[in-house]
Amino acid sequence: MTAGRNTSTLTYLQAISDGLRTEMRDDERVLLMGEDIGVFGGAFKVTDGFIEEFGVDRVMDTPLAESGIIGTAVGAAVVGMRPVCEMQFADFVSCGFDQIINVAGKMLYRQGLPVNITVRLPSGGGFSGGPCHSQSPEAWFMHSPGIKVVAPSTAEDAKGMMIASIRDPNPVVYMEHKHLYRRVKGEVPEGSYETPFAARVAREGAELVVMTYGAMVHTALEATEDLDTPSGHGRASIMVLDLRTLKPLDEQAILSAVRACSKVVIVDEANQTCAAGAQVAALIAEHAFEDLDGPVVRVASPDVPIPYSPPLEQAVLPSVDRVREACRQLLEY
Amino acid sequence: MSSSVRTRYPRKSRLSAAERKAAMATSSTAARTGPNTPSDSLPEHLTLDDRVGLLRSMLLMRIIEERLMKLYRQGKVPGSFYDGFGQEAVSVGAAWAMAAADRLCAVHRDLGAHLVRGVAPWRIMGQYMGREDGVTRGREGNVHFGDHRTGCVGMVSMLPDMMLVATGMAMAFKLRGEQRCALTWFGDGSTSRGDFHEAMNWAGVQHLPVIFVLENNQFAYSTPLRQQFAVNPVERAKAYGFLGMSVDGNDAEAMFEATRAARARALDGGGPTLIEAVTMRMHGHAAHDDMKYVPKALFEEWRKKDPIDRQSARVAAQGVDVDALKAEVREQVEQATQKALAGAMPDPATATDRVFHPRDADEILLEDGAAPWSGFKVTSSGGRRSR
Amino acid sequence: MPQMGASVAEGTILEWRKQLGDWVESDETIAEVSTDKIDTEIPSPAAGRLVEILVDVGVTVDIGVTLARIATDARPGEPHDAERDPAPPVEPVAQPAAPPRDPAPPVTQPASPSDTPVDAGARRGAIRRYSPVVQRIAAEHDVDLAAIEGTGREGRVRKQDVIAFVEARGLADPVGSEADEAPLHTESPYRPEPPGSADGQYKPPEGRPLSRMRQTIGAHMHRSLQTAATCTTWIEVDVSPIELARREKGMTALPLIARCVISALVEFPQLNAWLEDDVHTVHEQVNLGIAVALSDDDGLIVPVVRGAQDLSAEGLSRCIRDLASRARARALSADDIHGATFTLTNPGQFGSIMATPVISQPQVAILDVEAITKRPVVVTDAFGQDAIAIRPMVILGLSWDHRALDGALAARFLANIKRRVESYES
Repeated sequence: MTAGRNTSTLTYLQAISDGLRTEMRDDERVLLMGEDIGVFGGAFKVTDGFIEEFGVDRVMDTPLAESGIIGTAVGAAVVGMRPVCEMQFADFVSCGFDQIINVAGKMLYRQGLPVNITVRLPSGGGFSGGPCHSQSPEAWFMHSPGIKVVAPSTAEDAKGMMIASIRDPNPVVYMEHKHLYRRVKGEVPEGSYETPFAARVAREGAELVVMTYGAMVHTALEATEDLDTPSGHGRASIMVLDLRTLKPLDEQAILSAVRACSKVVIVDEANQTCAAGAQVAALIAEHAFEDLDGPVVRVASPDVPIPYSPPLEQAVLPSVDRVREACRQLLEY
Repeated sequence: MSSSVRTRYPRKSRLSAAERKAAMATSSTAARTGPNTPSDSLPEHLTLDDRVGLLRSMLLMRIIEERLMKLYRQGKVPGSFYDGFGQEAVSVGAAWAMAAADRLCAVHRDLGAHLVRGVAPWRIMGQYMGREDGVTRGREGNVHFGDHRTGCVGMVSMLPDMMLVATGMAMAFKLRGEQRCALTWFGDGSTSRGDFHEAMNWAGVQHLPVIFVLENNQFAYSTPLRQQFAVNPVERAKAYGFLGMSVDGNDAEAMFEATRAARARALDGGGPTLIEAVTMRMHGHAAHDDMKYVPKALFEEWRKKDPIDRQSARVAAQGVDVDALKAEVREQVEQATQKALAGAMPDPATATDRVFHPRDADEILLEDGAAPWSGFKVTSSGGRRSR
Repeated sequence: MPQMGASVAEGTILEWRKQLGDWVESDETIAEVSTDKIDTEIPSPAAGRLVEILVDVGVTVDIGVTLARIATDARPGEPHDAERDPAPPVEPVAQPAAPPRDPAPPVTQPASPSDTPVDAGARRGAIRRYSPVVQRIAAEHDVDLAAIEGTGREGRVRKQDVIAFVEARGLADPVGSEADEAPLHTESPYRPEPPGSADGQYKPPEGRPLSRMRQTIGAHMHRSLQTAATCTTWIEVDVSPIELARREKGMTALPLIARCVISALVEFPQLNAWLEDDVHTVHEQVNLGIAVALSDDDGLIVPVVRGAQDLSAEGLSRCIRDLASRARARALSADDIHGATFTLTNPGQFGSIMATPVISQPQVAILDVEAITKRPVVVTDAFGQDAIAIRPMVILGLSWDHRALDGALAARFLANIKRRVESYES
């Protein structure tokens, strides 16, 4: 769809900005709402320059009120606007939990009224943010009916999924990983395009597949570059499947990867219990049992708040070494 | 706005020139902020038809709820049953002042609002009985509904979440420069939750055209006011930067007038208003609550102020046959009951439908509701109506 | 109810010789039935316990209706006859020119794909566990897992071990052709009939459900024949220049023929097209699908040489070999098997001369290259004199979709290929 277009090299953060800006130019109904996003340009500068281009009416500096941001966004959406809410940190979405879960998520089912809001969550750890600035809370929203959850890992996907999320008529929680903001760059097509809510094969492979999303995609790619195949004849052929969409999960891609590789390692940066990966594992156990040549292995953060001090934080978040070791053991099984 | 923008708002919700003129005419009236409109004086903005209409809507609400209570006790209404017995003026009076293009968030004792906006009684009764042709097609229960085709957003049980939704609608109206406002009801108990503060603050800071109607019916389930707040919440409006007023919640015409004025103020750029509708919950929190915690004396005091009795007296004094009206409404409700009882239960196979709206499906938005107030009707002279 | 006689359509139970709960041996008379041709005894098809009688005495049912159920599980404490014998090998499909396998198993033991490998392993004295995918692949290819050395932890049999075993077993049989590499495609495999059993009684073989791969291919073929108006046109081609060139270059004839086909496609782009729901899309780029047989019963896959118009014969040869080997190693990506605009199939290594290939939807044509056979042909010399010469000839079969083109165009296309092949110069 975007073949043949000009591209520019953008960071993941610039790609998100580009997505927002492109859609705001195309659709006057799009309204950005968040704390410090207007005059200040956003805590991470995602909306830098927006208020100059679009004005205060479309780039709203809100009071410090997460429930207020999401609840008023619901009201604006049902009278025809397309609000995009920014939670300054994903962690703060818990202050607006009720409005997402019970008002936005259930409105269509209960009242026949779709709610087109997008909620951006700068999530994830790896830079000593401490327990209240490092969470990956996607599973809370996967569990709640009526809410879609997406998590791009590349610059190109970040832009395309931003545009697709805004156009989706349902509440969409968009997980943007803070660690990737400036560390990941890519070729991003110019102009408007949508990335479908589907998984992406980040690297082809045949002996084992690592399924993951967000920052862990890059961890998985690095961890599986140079593993040897157990029979001793060269490099192991390891697929990395970037899930990209967590609700709905791309079940076909997941099951197809298991059919091809028969060994699965699932990586979550989030806390292990009931993370997205747990749902993927259950899906595989039920629907791909006969394609398995080994247990479904999970690598995730233990069930602890993400600590502040670097040695503690690194011990908790799944590292390249931990992922590599899990793959190595499963390869040899 | 950038001229290269491709998707623009649909224009159908704008007022016509005549409607706009009528709205401007009424907004130039000085706002009345007195707590009571004396019942024997002729209201400035209500015709006799309006006054009868208020009574009819309140009767409809009461008789429907009484009928539903019977059906509930007969096992035809699943789950819980809530009613607004004795509070009918709060919803009917306020809703009467709302224009077709305005938007409403009603809660569980505001059935009258839905009736004023034009939801057919049989569909409401089907809704309570969980039928396929009820307003929510069996997805939500009893009064937890809002027919989007009448401009009403259905409530959630977490009160006062809808205060924020109403604030958001008002925010959109203001951003788009539309002459419309939003109104929401909520109870005394719900003012203790954070969303009350966030909504009041947001509406105040952004100076939005939203009307907050606080139904103070003396009890939140079994919790009396003195255990709910240390100051009367109507006093808090000032702290958020806008007007708060207390109104006799059992006087439909006073409720109408306060809301009409608040609306005019909002459209004039005067920002939000908090209207405390002082009333009394005459039945239990729900049908399963016997209200033993309410002192009998309190009951007796409030029974004398029954809103339907008061409005009946008013229009009877103008020569209206109230008994005939009651009989008419009873007949209407009976027919609605029969029609609702004939409705099918939902097909279990559809239980998992309608969780996500498909990308390629038509957009569904709130639509305009009925606005029966005579003040919204365009006259040939185009001027202000005197009665 | 067995069919006894060609015109017999139904039968009646006269008597049950065994009662519910009885043990019955294989071939032991279990019931007596009557048809309008004959009254006869029915021998039991298996040994086991009679657990369900579905048709009562005096009832008439159609041929093929189930009469009773026998549980073939072992009696407690006593291993069953069927479990003692080794799993009989079923003829593998698509063995190239394979010599007949060992004499077929005793026909009294119907081949059962679920014969447990666990029992076989138990004979070795160690308990071996096999993962679900290993068991599935073993069942599909009728492999005795006990015979496989595992390379997994503590000698565990991994998926790759079973696959390698199956492929090695396939390649172990002599190919017997001139080609350096394993054949790309096999069709119409010949399987000798199992010889009759010692006592002369006919035992109908037990059917097995088709593998998933077979079902998928079958559905695609069926759908193609139902969608397209498939016609086939043939042309005979003298491949002497190709034979010369391929010996010089050290490759098979296929890439050279493919190169000629691609050039013809560039001239006749209407054959390099897709037809989907009345939308006809002519492609400039030639993405050539090459049909490759996966080992044994795993059917066909068609990897794609993208942008084939830009490849020389050598390039094509390299590409085709790489795709074929990756296909067998199951290391093809989704991109490798999608987007073909024209397909080439080459099953001729076994001597077949003509075929009616099935078009791969949504393409509009497919070219089949059968065996190159030396034939006497009439050649005319420069003076107009006719003589008989021996030439290597091949018949090219083009199946094409009459909804998208006519016979004349198909014939001209084939003539173009013929001209290119017969005047090929490397």
